[in-house]
Amino acid sequence: MDIKSKFPIFKKYPDLAYLDNGATTLKPEIVLEKMNEYYREYSANIHRGIYGISERATEEYESARVKVARFIGAAPSEIIFTFGTTASINLVASGWADKNLKRGDEILVTEMEHHSNLVPWQNLAKKKGLKIKFLPLNGIFLDISDEVLKNLVNEKTKMMAMVQVSNVLGTVNPVKDIIEKVKKINPKIVVVVDGAQAVAHMPIKVKDLGADFYAFSGHKMYGPTGIGVLWGKKERLEETEPVNFGGGMIEEVTEEGFRMASIPFRFEGGTPPIGEAIGLGEAVDFIEELGWKDIMEQEINTYKYLEEKIGGLAEMMGEGTIKILVMKGAHPHDVAQILDTVGVCVRAGHHCAMPLHQKLGLMASTRVSLAVYNDKSDVDKLIGGIKKVNKIFVKED
Amino acid sequence: MDDNLYKEIILDRYKNPQNFGEIEDVKQAEQANYLCGDKLKIYIKTDKDGVIEEAKFMGGGCAISMAAVDLLLDEIVGKKLSQVKKMKGEEIEKMLGMDLTPARKKCAYLGLEVIKKI
Ligand SMILES: Cc1ncc(COP(=O)(O)O)c(C=O)c1O
Repeated sequence: MDIKSKFPIFKKYPDLAYLDNGATTLKPEIVLEKMNEYYREYSANIHRGIYGISERATEEYESARVKVARFIGAAPSEIIFTFGTTASINLVASGWADKNLKRGDEILVTEMEHHSNLVPWQNLAKKKGLKIKFLPLNGIFLDISDEVLKNLVNEKTKMMAMVQVSNVLGTVNPVKDIIEKVKKINPKIVVVVDGAQAVAHMPIKVKDLGADFYAFSGHKMYGPTGIGVLWGKKERLEETEPVNFGGGMIEEVTEEGFRMASIPFRFEGGTPPIGEAIGLGEAVDFIEELGWKDIMEQEINTYKYLEEKIGGLAEMMGEGTIKILVMKGAHPHDVAQILDTVGVCVRAGHHCAMPLHQKLGLMASTRVSLAVYNDKSDVDKLIGGIKKVNKIFVKED
Repeated sequence: MDDNLYKEIILDRYKNPQNFGEIEDVKQAEQANYLCGDKLKIYIKTDKDGVIEEAKFMGGGCAISMAAVDLLLDEIVGKKLSQVKKMKGEEIEKMLGMDLTPARKKCAYLGLEVIKKI
C-alpha cells in the first residue's frame, strides 16, 4: 500500500520517520480537505440558522456523528462530541460518577492508566471520600486472576476505569473478559474504557465489550485535534448530568429555569468544534476505506520487522504497535535527540503514565509507536539511529 | 539539531563526572524534573564567609543535565554561594559552549535551579 502519499506532511519531509503516533497521528489529505471545505464554504454555526450554509453545517456535523456511531457499533444518539479523551473521561467523572457515587464507594483502575484516566478519579475520590484500588500489573499484562479480582472487587466497587491499549506498553487488555469478570462479582459496576490508543488500530464494537462508557480522541485516529468522543449506554447517559450549561444544550429557557435538550445535545453546550467533528467523520471514512485487514496487516508487518531487527541493540518491551526502548547508558532524552538527528521522531519521558513507570522501575523511557503509514524504511532509520546512540553513549567495557 | 550537541566535553563529563558524590552535614537541596525523569541532589560546603569550598552532586538524568551540573560545580568552587545563586541560565550555555533548544535548556539549567534552592 502506498499510504504515505495520502499524507501531505511527507511531501514536505519525504524522509520523515514519524514514530510518535501514540501522541498524535499525522493527518491525511482528505481530512484536511474536508475541514478546509467547511471553513471556506459553509463555516456557519449549527442547529441555528434557517439558511443554506447553516443547514449544510448541521447536516455535515450530524453526519459525522452517524459515521462515528457506525464506526464503533453504536447509535448516533449515544455519541457525544467532546474535546478529546481527557474531556470525555472528565465528563464521566463529573457528570455521572460525582452524582452516583457516595462516600466510601470504591473505584477500580489499573496500574497502566494514562494520567487522563487516573487523575480525574483521584480528584473525585478526594472530593467525595472515595477509595481507589489498582488492578496490578504482571509483566506487561494485567493480573486478572480470580483471586486478585476477588480481593479488589466487592459490593462497594461502583466504578471501573480501564485503558484498552496501554499507551506505554501497547498491551491490549482483554477488556471484554475483564468487564465480564468484574460484573459477575458486582453487576452494578459501571465501566469506562479509555480507547484512545485502540480506535486507530483495531475494530471496536462498544456493545460487544460490555462497557458503559467508551472514550477516545480524534487526533490519534488520523483526525484533527480538539475533537473527541464519549460513547455512553443510553441508560447511563440518562443518569449523566451535563458539565457545560448554556447555549446549545437547552430546549427552553425562562426566567424561572430551563429544560435541557435531548441526549446527546444536552452534553454539547456551547459551539462545538464543528470543522473538527466533520474532519473526524472523514477520518472514519479514511480508516474504513483502507480497511481493517490491510491496516492491521501493515502494522503487524512493521512491528514484526522491528522486533526482528532490534536484536541486542536495545532492550525492548511492549505488545503490538507500541514499544518502549531502554538503553543502558543512554537517557531517553538523549536517545530521542540523537534519533531526531537522523529524522526519526520518538517520544522520551513518562508518556503521562508516571505510576506505571514507577512500577516498571524506570524514571522515563523512549517510546516507539506505529501507525498505518509506517513501514520497513522507518524501522531501518530507527535501527540506524539506535546504532548511532550506541556508538556515542554505550561504553564498551 | 545536529550532532554537535554531544561534544566530547559533554560526553566525557556524562560518562566520567568529576563531582559525583555526597558530602555529609552540609547544605543541600534536590529537585526532580519528572517530565524527563531527571533527579538531582546537590551538596555545598561553604566557609564562614559563605565561600564555596566543595560541591558535589548525586542523581541521574540525561547527558546535558548531568554534564552541565558537573561543569557548573567545577565553576562555583571558590565563589560566594550568594553570587552563584544570581547566575543566569545563559551562563550555563556559555559554559557548555553552545546554544540549546528550549526543551534542552530545561535540562541544562536543572543544576543551577537546585543550587538556587539551597
Ligand atoms: C491511553 C490514553 N488515554 C488518554 C489520552 C489523552 O488523550 P487526549 O490528550 O487526546 O485527551 C491519551 C493520549 O495521550 C492516551 O494515550
